[in-house]
Amino acid sequence: MDETKTTPRISEDITNLVIARLETIPPNIEMSMGGDGNFTARELIERVREQDDVGKKMIDMQMAYLRSLGNLPTQKFGNASTTN
Amino acid sequence: MLLLLTRPRYDPATHYLFYWSGFLVDEAKKRNVRTIDLSKEKAKKDKFHSYLLKQPVDIVILNGHGNSEEVAGQNDEVLLSVSSGAKLMKGKNIFIRACDAATTLGQEIMKMGATGFVGYTRPFWIARDVDSFNRPLEDETAGPILRCSNQVGLSLIKGKPIAQAQEDSLARYRENIDKYSASETTSSFLLPFLLWNMTSQVCYQ
Repeated sequence: MDETKTTPRISEDITNLVIARLETIPPNIEMSMGGDGNFTARELIERVREQDDVGKKMIDMQMAYLRSLGNLPTQKFGNASTTN
Repeated sequence: MLLLLTRPRYDPATHYLFYWSGFLVDEAKKRNVRTIDLSKEKAKKDKFHSYLLKQPVDIVILNGHGNSEEVAGQNDEVLLSVSSGAKLMKGKNIFIRACDAATTLGQEIMKMGATGFVGYTRPFWIARDVDSFNRPLEDETAGPILRCSNQVGLSLIKGKPIAQAQEDSLARYRENIDKYSASETTSSFLLPFLLWNMTSQVCYQ
C-alpha cells in the first residue's frame, strides 16, 4: 500500500489561511523552534506547504490562535480531508 | 536561598535565552540570593550534577534545547534526563525553559520528589528581529516572549510559591496578548506565538 496516499493531509483551505497569515510577518523576523532550527516566514511557508513536522506545528499554532478569537469551529487536523 | 541556573549560548535561540536569563541573575544579586550561574561552557553535565549533589540548591532554572525526556546545556550536551539527574531535583523548585520538557521529564522529576515544576508541553517558540541579534535585550520582537517566561524565574527568586510564579507569568502573557491585540502595529503577528507558549506552559506541584 502506498503510505503517502493514506497519510491524512491538512486541507488546502487551512494551509492557505496559515500561509496568508505568515505572509504578514516582516522579512527581518526569524523564528526559532527549539533545536529544530531558525526559520524566516518564507521558510515556514514552505514547511507548511510540505506539511512536515515544523509546518504542522505552525499550522497548529496559527489555528489555535484563530480559534481563540472564537469565530472558527474546532477541527482535528489529523482527520482533515485529503486534498491531493 | 540558593539558585542554580544554566544558560548555554551556541546558536541563535540559546544566544537569546543566555542574555534574557541575565535578568534573572541580576534580580538574584539584587535580592542577595546566592546564585550558581552555569553559563556558556560551564553549562556541562558534570558541573551541573556536582553542584546539585554538594550544594543545598532551592531553585533550578534550565535554559536550552530539550525534548520530552531531556534538556541540554552547552553544545547540546544533555544535562538532565529521565534516566540521569531527575533524582537530584528532590525538594527543589524547577523551571525548565526548553521544548517539550514538561511532558515525560517534568512528570518524572515530580515523581522523584521535586517540590514543583514549570515547563512546556510543546515546543517553545522565540520570534526575533535579525537586525537586533547583537542587541538581544533591545529586540522588541523577542522581548514580550522572553519577558513573559522570565516572570516564572523572577517570581521564584522573589520567594513566591511555584503556583504563584506560574500565575504571575500567565498574567504577563495575558497582559501582552491584550496589548498586541489592541494595537494596529505589525507586531500583532506575535499573538499566536504568545498564546502558544502561554498555553504550553504548565505547573506541577
